Order: sequence, then C-alpha cells, then structure tokens
Amino acid sequence: MRPTLDVVFEGVNKTFSLRGRPLRALEHVSVACPAGSFTALIGPSGCGKSTLLRLALGLESADDGRVAIGGRSPLVARRRGETGVAFQDAALLPWRSVETNIALPLDVIGKPRREARERIASLIRLVGLAGFEAALPRQLSGGMRQRVAIARALVTDPAVLFLDEPFGALDQILRRQMNIELQRVWLEGHATTLLVTHGIDEAAFLADRIVVMRDRPGRVATTIDVPFARPRGPSLFADPDFHRLCDTVAQALRSDPLE
Amino acid sequence: MRRALSHLALAALALLIWEVVGRAQLVAMGALPAPSEILARWWIDRADYPPHATATAVSAAFGLLWGSAAGIGAGIVFAAWPLAARLFRGVNVALFALPPIAIVPVLVLCLSGSAPRIVLAALGCYFPVMAATTLGLTHVDPRVCDLVHAYGGGATAIFRFVRLRSALPVILSGLKVAAPNAVLGAILAEFGGGGRYGLGAYLIGSLGRADPARLWGIGLSATAMAGLAYFAFAQLSRGATSGARADTMAASLASDAGPDGGGRFERAIVAVAAALLPVAIWAGLTTAFHLPPLIAKSPAAVVDYLFASPASGLAQARLLGALAETLPIMLAGLLAGLACAFALALVGAFAPAVSRLLLPVSLVTQTMPLVALTPLLVLLFGRGLAVTIAITVSVTFFPAYVAISQGLALVPRAALDLPRAYGAPWWKEIWIVAAPASLPHLFAAARFGAARALLGVMIAEWLATGRGLGALLNQARGRLDYAMIWSVAVVAVLVSVTLYQLLLGAERLTLKRFGQ
Repeated sequence: MRPTLDVVFEGVNKTFSLRGRPLRALEHVSVACPAGSFTALIGPSGCGKSTLLRLALGLESADDGRVAIGGRSPLVARRRGETGVAFQDAALLPWRSVETNIALPLDVIGKPRREARERIASLIRLVGLAGFEAALPRQLSGGMRQRVAIARALVTDPAVLFLDEPFGALDQILRRQMNIELQRVWLEGHATTLLVTHGIDEAAFLADRIVVMRDRPGRVATTIDVPFARPRGPSLFADPDFHRLCDTVAQALRSDPLE
Repeated sequence: MRRALSHLALAALALLIWEVVGRAQLVAMGALPAPSEILARWWIDRADYPPHATATAVSAAFGLLWGSAAGIGAGIVFAAWPLAARLFRGVNVALFALPPIAIVPVLVLCLSGSAPRIVLAALGCYFPVMAATTLGLTHVDPRVCDLVHAYGGGATAIFRFVRLRSALPVILSGLKVAAPNAVLGAILAEFGGGGRYGLGAYLIGSLGRADPARLWGIGLSATAMAGLAYFAFAQLSRGATSGARADTMAASLASDAGPDGGGRFERAIVAVAAALLPVAIWAGLTTAFHLPPLIAKSPAAVVDYLFASPASGLAQARLLGALAETLPIMLAGLLAGLACAFALALVGAFAPAVSRLLLPVSLVTQTMPLVALTPLLVLLFGRGLAVTIAITVSVTFFPAYVAISQGLALVPRAALDLPRAYGAPWWKEIWIVAAPASLPHLFAAARFGAARALLGVMIAEWLATGRGLGALLNQARGRLDYAMIWSVAVVAVLVSVTLYQLLLGAERLTLKRFGQ
C-alpha cells in the first residue's frame, strides 16, 4: 500500500474557445482534497467539474493557477502510476477480456503484467467478477462492465483515484448497489478520491465532503461536509438525516445569488 | 432456419423459371440459355478453364497483395499525418474515380507480361483498403484514448493499444470490397491486353462464336471467383469484428482528420499542391522508367498534342464528339440507377418484404464483376443504346440500393415511428424522416456510382456499340495512335474527378442545409 497523496486546485482558470468565442469553463476555482479523503464534485452540466478532473489527470492544462497531486504536477503523478481513473460508460476495449482490460494501465505505463497477476485476481474478486476473468465486454451486463472499469482504475494501486460519473449510465437501482460496492472497495485502500457526479444521493452516500459547483462561469458555490460514520450501509438511504443533507445539497444547487 | 429454407426455395424457384425461359428461348432468341445448357457447355469446355482461371486468379491475387499493401501503408501515413492525406487527396480521388478500362491501353503500352493485369488489379484494391485503414485508425473510442493518455501514454501507446486492433475489422472489410475489384481489374486488363490466358481473354475470344452458353459459363466462373474472394474476407472480417465492436456508443466519434488546419492561404497552397501531385507523379513515372517518349507520353506531350500540334484541331473534335456521346448516356444511366435505388430503398423501409427479397440479390451482385459481364448483356440487349443504359443502370443501382437501405436501417426505429404516432400518412413519414435520413447515403452512393457509371458506359462502347469515348480508345489502340490513347485516358479521369467533386460540393451544401 502506498501512502495517499492530497490533491490541490488553487485559483484555477480555464477558458475554451467554442467556435471562435471564448467560453469561461473555470473561474478561480480552489478545491483542496486532503490525503485519504473522498470528495464529490456536483453541479449542473457544463459547470466545469469534468474539466477540473481532466486538469488533475493532465489531459488539459490550466490557463493559470496551480494543480498539484502530492505537491507535484499531475504529469509527474501519472508517470509514476500514482493516479487511477474511471470514466462514465466503462470505455473497455471490446477485444480484451476482463483480465486484460484491467491490465491496460499496466501495459501503458510499461509494468509487466506477470508481477501484477495476483493483484488483478484479487481485484476481480473484490469487484465480484470471479469466474468472468476471460469474458469479453460484450458478454457482460452494464453493471459488470462498470465494475471492470473500477477494478482497472485500482490496478496500479493508485494514491489518487479520479471517478468521472462512473455510474452515470446505470439505472438508479443498480447505481445504489454499485455505490455500496464502491464504498467497500474504497475502504480497503483509502485512496484520495475525487468523484464527479450528477447524483445528489450518490455524493451524499459516498463522500466526506461535497463541493457544489455553478455554471457560466464554472466556479465553486459552497462545500458541504458529510458527517455520517463509515462504513455506511444501505439503511443510510432511508435515514432522515441523509435526506436532510440531500435537501441541503439540492438547495445549494438551486439557490441563485440574485434571489 | 425457416428463413434460410424460404431463401433456398426462392432460389430454386428462380432457377426453375430460368430453366423454362432458357429452354423455350424466350429471351432475345436464346441469348439467355437455360442453367442446364450452361452447365453442359461448361462440362464440355472443362479442359479450357484451368489455365484461364489460374491466370486470372494469379494476377488478381498479386494485384490484391500489392494494392492492399500500398493501401494499408498509405492509410497509416494518412492517419498519422493529416497533411499528407490532404496533399494526396488529388491522387486518391483520381485513383478512386478513374475508370480502369481507360488506362488499360496505357498500361499495356508501358508494361509487359502480366504486369498490366497486376497493376490494374492493384489499382482497384488500393482505394477501398486505404480508405478503410484511415477510417479504422482514426475513428476510435475517444474515451479509451483519454484513458491511455491519463496513464501517461502518448500517440505511440494509443496506436499500439487502441488504434491498431480496432482498425483490424475495418481493414478486413475494406479487403472484402477490394478482392472482387482485383478480379475485375485483372479481367479488364485481359480485355485489352491481348494475352493468351485469362478469363477475360477467354471471354473476348469466345465473343465471336455465337455460343451464349459458353459466354455465360465464363461469366459465372468469373463471378464465382470474385464471390469466393469476397466471402473469404467477409468471414475473416466477421471473426475479427465479433470481438471488436464497441458495446456502448461513444458520445461522439473522434472527427476524421479534423478540420483543415491553417489559414486560407495555407489551405489554398495545399489544395493546389494536391491537384498538381497526380500530374507530377505521372511525369515522374514516365521519365523514371526510361520509356520511349513516342509511347509513354508525358503530361507536356499530351497538352502539346491537344492544343499546339497541327493535329490538335482534329483531336479535339474527335474527343469532344466522343464525350458528347458518352456523357449524356452516363448521366442518364446514373440518374435512373440512383432514382430506382432511392425509391426502392424507401419502399423497403416501410415494406420489409420488399427489402427481404431485394437486399440479398443486391448483396450478391456486390461480389460480381458486373462490368466484366458486359458481353452477356450484349447478348441480351444487342449492340445499341439499350445495352449501354442496361450496364450503367445495373452498375449504379445495386450498390446504391444496398448503401441507402443499410443507411436507412441505421435510423433509430423511434424516429421513423414518431410521425406515425401523430397519425401521419406513409408519404409524410417518408418526407419528414426517411428521405432526409437517407440523403447522406444517397450522395455517397452517387459519388461511388458516378465512377462506376463511366466505367460501364466505356466498356459497353469499347466492346459493343462502337461509339463514344470507349470506342475512341479502342480505335486509337488499333491504330497505334499513342497520343490519343493517353488523351482519352486523361479526359476520362478528368470527367470522373470533376463529377466526383461536383457531387461532393452538392453533398456538402445539402447536408449543411439539413444540419448533418
């Protein structure tokens, strides 16, 4: 187990040009995720939450401001294999089996698969896919594919885990089930996690803190702490406190500075 | 299983009708012999076939090999460097649009032995394989690319882990299209090559003997060869696809090659360079191979012949006269073929029984070297205008019908059902959804069809009617009028490329109007 690292965004600005017009994606965004914490980013479509995640992955670069993982640039972190990522819609390679799809990050960073065989096997067990090692993605259900993506995100034993709406394509019933499983998986490693989501209850169930974002331009509206003790069970979904917290988040998403 | 049985029954019925019609000599006084007669003739001729079939198969196989190698190599280069793709656009369009028959005499003049056949077969393979390779390498799941990138993988890692494998089934389906093209190319070169062996040579040699059963036997053998090659690659492609189709739809596909980069000035330079490159390659080839200038005309020599020499007036008059005969027939055949295909595809979208009947037949014709069957059509339609129209319509209709039908099948069922849910009559459904949805496929079919239509007309003219560009080419060949041979080839390519560009322009305007 490697030591976890913190993720810091400080005064980040990012402007895209859309058909020649500048589009302010992020305006002076500062978010700090302490090492070992679970942070959820929530906000309307186009508020820049995915952009924030892409900055931390080194897929985009900020116009100004600072993005750091464990005090270093995201490029350094990803070269050392310290980051793990899962996108919405599993994005598995259709010709690779469950086992070799999970091994893809190792292939990319050039680690021999042989050494990781034991880890891959344990990850497959962890996400409940034992017996499906050789299955191709098309033989799996949507939820199973997403579990493969989660296992793939964990294969490098990352210190930081980025999840971009990992369950966005699943139905509500399956989603709750996956939330419970993700928490179980996360508790085993405690990687610093940044989850981008559209689901209020997903954020409230999984995160230590919820960062609520606004759009046009993308900015942080408020940060809400989630007090529930871990491990959190399915009964939490029925808890009145849980619902109150969800209402607070919904209120924060709704409230307009002009009102 | 039941469907397969009903198909078999249908095929048996068709064969039975053919047999009766053939036996009774109902079509053009016995021009359509009965299957049993063809088979009997084939049995009598059985000793003739092996050398001919082997010669064609060997030329086609080598052509396929060289053409695909060039196509895959070029596809990789174009996918990696979009600028190269833009520079070679003129070359690619010319190679795509050129009617192979137009350059047969040129190839026969400049090369010897089986080289013209192999080159023509290779030319027929290059474009589909190149296009498939480029498409397969560039259209990959952008999310997987992001993923590889997020772990620090660069362009090389993405190529290795994602692009190469996801391109494989696309390349194989390109080869599936290329294989019958190789057979067609080999046969066309045999038409004009004067070689002893080859199915094309056999066909031409048998044209004079009024023996329809033998012509049909040769034609069907050629079809079987092309069909076999097609289905071999279709099987391979299916095997590779089963593991490689994305199971979830990507939100958007990576755009192909992206918008043309650079400013207006740079774009203009690239466009001019792309237009000049084919001419430069032509000039380079004629000098590089040390061919006698009398036979291998350079671009300058052709321009000189057409515009500056004492004979230029006569040459221009003959070329323009031939064009005036060829172009109207070609356009009429193209329009008729496309219109029939469009109408039947739309009908098929609402009456599945029609497409169930027609689509398998059309798919089979994809594998036929249709234009190589011109002699058969000559038997059926005589040597007049009818045969030219018949060939042109048949080479444009089937591919267009398949393209438009398959395009329509991609339209979400819900979009087709929506007007009906509001009580729209069938013609309104077509007008609102099906017709606009099939427009892109209609245009694609038109671009493909235009090149094939010119080829069809020229072959009919060469072999049968004795008019137009095809006949001019054949006469020039007979008279050893080298300058005219080159001129006809150039004019045919120019006509084809111009038509292609016009259709492309119309397509862009229309699709922009329809927001696609």
